[in-house]
Amino acid sequence: MVAKKGNPIFANKEDGNFREALKLYDAKQYKKALKLVETNLKKNSNHAESLALKGCINHNIGNKSEAESYVLKAIQKAPANYLVNHLAGIYYRSVENYVEASKWLKAANDNGSPNKPILRDLSLMQTQIRDYKNLKDSRQQYLEFQPGYRANWTGVAIAHHLNKDYAAAVSTLTKIEGIIKEHLTDADRYEQSECVLYKVDIIAKSGDIAKALATLEEDSSEIKDRLSFLEYKARFLMLLDKKHEASLIYRQLLQRNPDNMQYYNLLELSLGTVGNSVDLRLKLYEKLDSFYPRSDPPKFLPLTFTPSSHARFEEKVRSYLVPQLKRGIPATFVNVKPLYKNHKKLKVIEKVVLDFYAAELPKIDNPTVFVWTNYFLAQHYLYLNELDTANKYIDDALKHSPTLVELYTIKARIVKHQGKFEEAADIMNAGRELDLQDRFINSKATKYYFRANKVDEAIDCISLFTKLEDGVINGCKDLHVMQVNWVLVESAEAYKRLYHEYEAKLKEFKESSPLESEESKELENELVENIETYKGLALKRYNAVLKIFKIYYNDQYDFHSYCMRRGTPRDYIDTLEWEDRIHSTPIYTRVLKGMAEIYFEIYNEQQVKQSSESPSIEEGKTTKKQNNKKNKKKSQINKKKADFIARVESEKDDEDPLGAKLLSDLTNDDQIIDKLFQLYKPLIEEGKDLRLTHEVLYKTYLIEGKYVLALQSVKSLNKVLGGSSDVKLRSIGERVVELSETAQNDKNANAAIVKVVGKGLVSAFPEFGELSKEDFLNVYSK
Amino acid sequence: MGITIRQATINDIQAMQNANLHNLPENYQLKYYMYHILSWPQASFVATTYEDIVESNDTEAGEEFGGEKEDPKGDSAYINRGEKIVGYVLGKMEDDPEAEDKTPHGHITSLSVMRTYRRMGIAEKLMRQSLYAMCESFDAQYVSLHVRKSNRAALHLYRDSLNFEVTSIEKSYYQDGEDAYAMRLTLELDELLPSLAQKGERDDLSKDLLESL
Ligand SMILES: CC(C)(COP(=O)(O)OP(=O)(O)OC[C@H]1O[C@@H](n2cnc3c(N)ncnc32)[C@H](O)[C@@H]1OP(=O)(O)O)[C@@H](O)C(=O)NCCC(=O)NCCS
Repeated sequence: MVAKKGNPIFANKEDGNFREALKLYDAKQYKKALKLVETNLKKNSNHAESLALKGCINHNIGNKSEAESYVLKAIQKAPANYLVNHLAGIYYRSVENYVEASKWLKAANDNGSPNKPILRDLSLMQTQIRDYKNLKDSRQQYLEFQPGYRANWTGVAIAHHLNKDYAAAVSTLTKIEGIIKEHLTDADRYEQSECVLYKVDIIAKSGDIAKALATLEEDSSEIKDRLSFLEYKARFLMLLDKKHEASLIYRQLLQRNPDNMQYYNLLELSLGTVGNSVDLRLKLYEKLDSFYPRSDPPKFLPLTFTPSSHARFEEKVRSYLVPQLKRGIPATFVNVKPLYKNHKKLKVIEKVVLDFYAAELPKIDNPTVFVWTNYFLAQHYLYLNELDTANKYIDDALKHSPTLVELYTIKARIVKHQGKFEEAADIMNAGRELDLQDRFINSKATKYYFRANKVDEAIDCISLFTKLEDGVINGCKDLHVMQVNWVLVESAEAYKRLYHEYEAKLKEFKESSPLESEESKELENELVENIETYKGLALKRYNAVLKIFKIYYNDQYDFHSYCMRRGTPRDYIDTLEWEDRIHSTPIYTRVLKGMAEIYFEIYNEQQVKQSSESPSIEEGKTTKKQNNKKNKKKSQINKKKADFIARVESEKDDEDPLGAKLLSDLTNDDQIIDKLFQLYKPLIEEGKDLRLTHEVLYKTYLIEGKYVLALQSVKSLNKVLGGSSDVKLRSIGERVVELSETAQNDKNANAAIVKVVGKGLVSAFPEFGELSKEDFLNVYSK
Repeated sequence: MGITIRQATINDIQAMQNANLHNLPENYQLKYYMYHILSWPQASFVATTYEDIVESNDTEAGEEFGGEKEDPKGDSAYINRGEKIVGYVLGKMEDDPEAEDKTPHGHITSLSVMRTYRRMGIAEKLMRQSLYAMCESFDAQYVSLHVRKSNRAALHLYRDSLNFEVTSIEKSYYQDGEDAYAMRLTLELDELLPSLAQKGERDDLSKDLLESL
């Protein structure tokens, strides 16, 4: 078939039908559209456009599995037909396959489609898949099509910026500014301000700070966001070494926000006081305190730079702490806790509070001061892990004020540290009951239930604050919808502890009762069943967080066009960079860490199973089934199971509510280590500063016999952990030995590779070549 | 305290969502936070801990090498090593095309402070920053918000500390049926400079700060 490059003329009946079908498709009249398309295909089964449209329609009416085959057929028949290309693009976009979608939309445009809005869609997808090189062209072409909108100019500038072509970005922004200058209305002022700041920012990024400063000043009257204006200006002045001028700007910034610690630091840098005498700095902060008497930094920062040995340190601590104790500020302890990293300061603080407790408290009428001072000391001794002393102080406070919620949170934490998780949860819950309106204390009680492995209690507790749809017995589903990651992670970890407990019980049981009675079989089956249920649920919750992060990533899509129109390019760029790091953020990495532990466990079980004859769990399973058949109480069990599912289900009609399939897919997967590697792959870029990344990658490489990569991981890990020629870390030394031995003992390994690895280890860790293994490990012992 | 108040950025939104989920029953998906930051980047603020500064300022510390460097805590409040979000204010401009009043005005979508850090002025400071920014960057003439009738702390903050006025009572405004006070404050840029509320000495920028010391 001849591709209708350039101008598809609807010459025949098929094309006419197709055009009609397309209209119906756009109007979401899928059934009618399908009818026309099928008429076409009956006549001419080669009609590529109809095939492609049939694919799209099928997708929309729910025949998802068949849809792609029609699209593929269409592409095969007419790879250069822009209508087919376009429809293929639409199809792939609807299945969120942006790589294919952008490929076909680009083809549609390249093959002469007159439909220019394709370029807009294309640019969104190219951004989504970070194809910045091609993005530039589509944004540019779209601008040429519609130059009358500032958004399109901003889009081009952003594309240049993302390609690090700063000059082109600035010139685009400057050009549209010139064009639009005379026509700006009040409504455009915000966009104008943002775009001007964006331009200045890019000039600075390109390295020309002097020009950035000059431009900033020149355009000052266009800028509404004075905070950014001042922050930029101060930063540029510092970079240009105009410190005195910068100091004046920092003082202005402090007038705007005297609670931003950063400004005080920068002010000091600009004044050059940082290396100066402590006395001078103390005076400076006393001055600043007189300007901003209700701000914390002028009071707190002196405690950070004044050495504990300084004559005034103790006095400064006292004047910081005592008023807070007197006012009953709950955070008094956490306020000074960061100073505790320096043990000498800790001691001074302890002395000040104990002095206050002994000498002043008795003279103070207000009894709440007594309570809050006890509250402070309880936290202090908890920090020092002197739990009995901590307990004494908190108990005194509780005796005095049995309705003060804060006291319960500390009491609970002390008890938790004593390892009594259930008791801790009960105490936290008692605190919660004193203030049912407050969600914070509810969250704490929930968390403590999780830590005590009481998942049901935890979910019931938090369900007091979630939405309850009709017919739902708890907030579990809502917690998923509302992306309550902290609960999902805590659940996963609780389930994990539970199945570990059952594993330990199973082991103990097997060791202690070798008798194969009917009863013991049943008990064993029950244990096995619990292990599988909770392991499945742990995986289920971990995967729920992964899913939420997928949503977080996809959330950016709409903003690829929105921000150009809205005129917020600076924060848009931040957003792209943030999304590019999203897998290294704390919750996600905590999930990955937990998942790695489970994956490695399952891998080890697979190894054991392979080498031994008695696959115990499997055996348990078959007998379980036989038993079940016999079991007259089967329906009762089913009812119990249904109830259980109703409690833990994460979405309505979930096909795998217990994660059983997740688990069995993993246990049967002989590529489980590769699966784990795939999970960690994003961290290679995004999480290169995390120890987790290199620890887990090291292990996967070692298992897979990729020793050169494992060597690389050990080196990266050493860097991340802060190892150096002065700091020789045990965890590194052990891995060096392990890697070397594993590679050498691996009969399948390529000898040349083993050699390379050996050499690499010696050159990175020279003592490894010089010392015996024992001596080496003695050196690497930090 | 090592608490800093600063403008919120996109890096903060996960932890803001986390703080909101810990403190309030009215919750939002992350995209709504993105929408705020990317529509009114100036209007939202966070309170964060700032432990790193303590270490870098302390000349005595570092004597005890703490062993291996740890990853940031896997706690949803953390955004960096040693930096966690303990409070936030999420602000926006009225953008409902159907809204009756066309004068530009702001709205507080959500405000909360972790209980451990309450009663030391953080919420008030967050609010003052947001109000100032809304007025300056978006010409907000006034700002409005809703508060539960039973929420004493918030009511005290808005009415007594910030001078908001109750404009109406909205029956069953909240999911659980509780009424809301609709409150509003007229904004005047000159009066809003946040440090003015502290009634300290005024820093006369023409003088050298170090000279008199
Ligand atoms: C409301 C809330 C944000 C206040 O935060 P905060 O940082 O403790 O408030 P501040 O320290 O800035 O207090 C501001 C004023 O309110 C007063 N206040 C604070 N908590 C109070 C309480 N529980 N009861 C009475 N007054 C209270 C303070 O004394 C202060 O008044 P002052 O200026 O006369 O001294 C916080 O309690 C919270 O997060 N609550 C849960 C979430 C919530 O309700 N958000 C508001 C939704 S509209």
